[in-house]
Amino acid sequence: MSEFHDNYPQYEVMSNHGEEEGKKTRSVLWKVFWVMLAITVFELVIGFLAPGNGWSGTWWLKTLFISLTIVKAAAIVLWFMHLGHEAKFFKYMILVPYVIFMFYTIFIVLTEGTYSGTVDHHTKIDPIFKEQQDALKHGHQGGGEAAHEAAAVEHH
Amino acid sequence: MAHTAEIDSKEAWGGGQSPFKLAYGKLFMWFFLVSDALTFGGLLISYGFIRHKYADVWPKAEHVFTHFPFVQQHIPLAYVGLMTFILIMSSVTMVLAVEAGHRMDRKGVITWMFWTIVGGLAFVGSQAWEWYHFIIGTHDGALRNVWDPATGAYVKQIWHGANMVTNEYGVPQFANYFFFITGFHGTHVFSGVVINFVIFLNVIKGTYQKRGHYEMVEKVGLYWHFVDLVWVFVFTFFYLL
Repeated sequence: MSEFHDNYPQYEVMSNHGEEEGKKTRSVLWKVFWVMLAITVFELVIGFLAPGNGWSGTWWLKTLFISLTIVKAAAIVLWFMHLGHEAKFFKYMILVPYVIFMFYTIFIVLTEGTYSGTVDHHTKIDPIFKEQQDALKHGHQGGGEAAHEAAAVEHH
Repeated sequence: MAHTAEIDSKEAWGGGQSPFKLAYGKLFMWFFLVSDALTFGGLLISYGFIRHKYADVWPKAEHVFTHFPFVQQHIPLAYVGLMTFILIMSSVTMVLAVEAGHRMDRKGVITWMFWTIVGGLAFVGSQAWEWYHFIIGTHDGALRNVWDPATGAYVKQIWHGANMVTNEYGVPQFANYFFFITGFHGTHVFSGVVINFVIFLNVIKGTYQKRGHYEMVEKVGLYWHFVDLVWVFVFTFFYLL
């Protein structure tokens, strides 16, 4: 049975379950899958409609996408990776340090990030980018490039 | 799981048992995943930082990723939607393989792991296709100042596609982050497929049936779900926002 011959509990074997419980587990997993699929389809529809409706880059759209992403991530971690049913202490040992560290990194980027230079520091950027992006924003083509033609038409 | 007897929290750290009620292999797979998640977290946060820094010249994903196989029209998001569907689907088949393993159902594990491997290969293939079209670029291209090492000066010319220094979509940083993060994720998917395949062979051989548990399937399953988890974030930050 086990690779080891000691009295330590065999958690690998203890996590086995019968037909009855398997059925319950499977129905939960499929439900999680359908919810995730619905969220993804919803995101794609919104993302597809965004450019035509002027939603691209709005703060509420960004908030919506990031929140839906976190919902999906939670579904994967808690049900697919089974963390929701592990021992409480283990759950927190995995999640809490990670979340704290991520928030800390974001905080540092937001506060100390100003030292990386300001917009005036953009001297190394190809000036053509600026022209093209401005042209896109104003809804007409700049400089005769055809690369973003389709996009420019959309903005009219 | 419900099968583990309730342990008094005061007794839990007394030795002779795992206070986490987990076998060591699974415990250390989780530790590894946390460290890997820190790497991806760092990459994505730095991506967000650079993107914000160059917000005025950052390309919009809906203008860049518009191709779909066998279709001439430009359909933004459709292809990456398909890739996301493939990966979520393969995550479900993986978790069903783990569940079958808990019932010692060898045939079930073989079936579901097979589909997981198929899904993984389909995803890696899709990513290769996506990279290919990103690198060769569009037919029209865009005007760029391209560095000419022979003369040591920038030359204005129409440029197609992307590499690490010049790309037609916008600032070079965009292509750099795209290559690095999706490449790093793609490497994870590829190694996941290889590891899944090794475990798949062991399942066919009956190794875990003899051992009395399918925890190895569960461990590679954790890794596979982690790959899916990362993709959920990459999908949002590169394609949706």
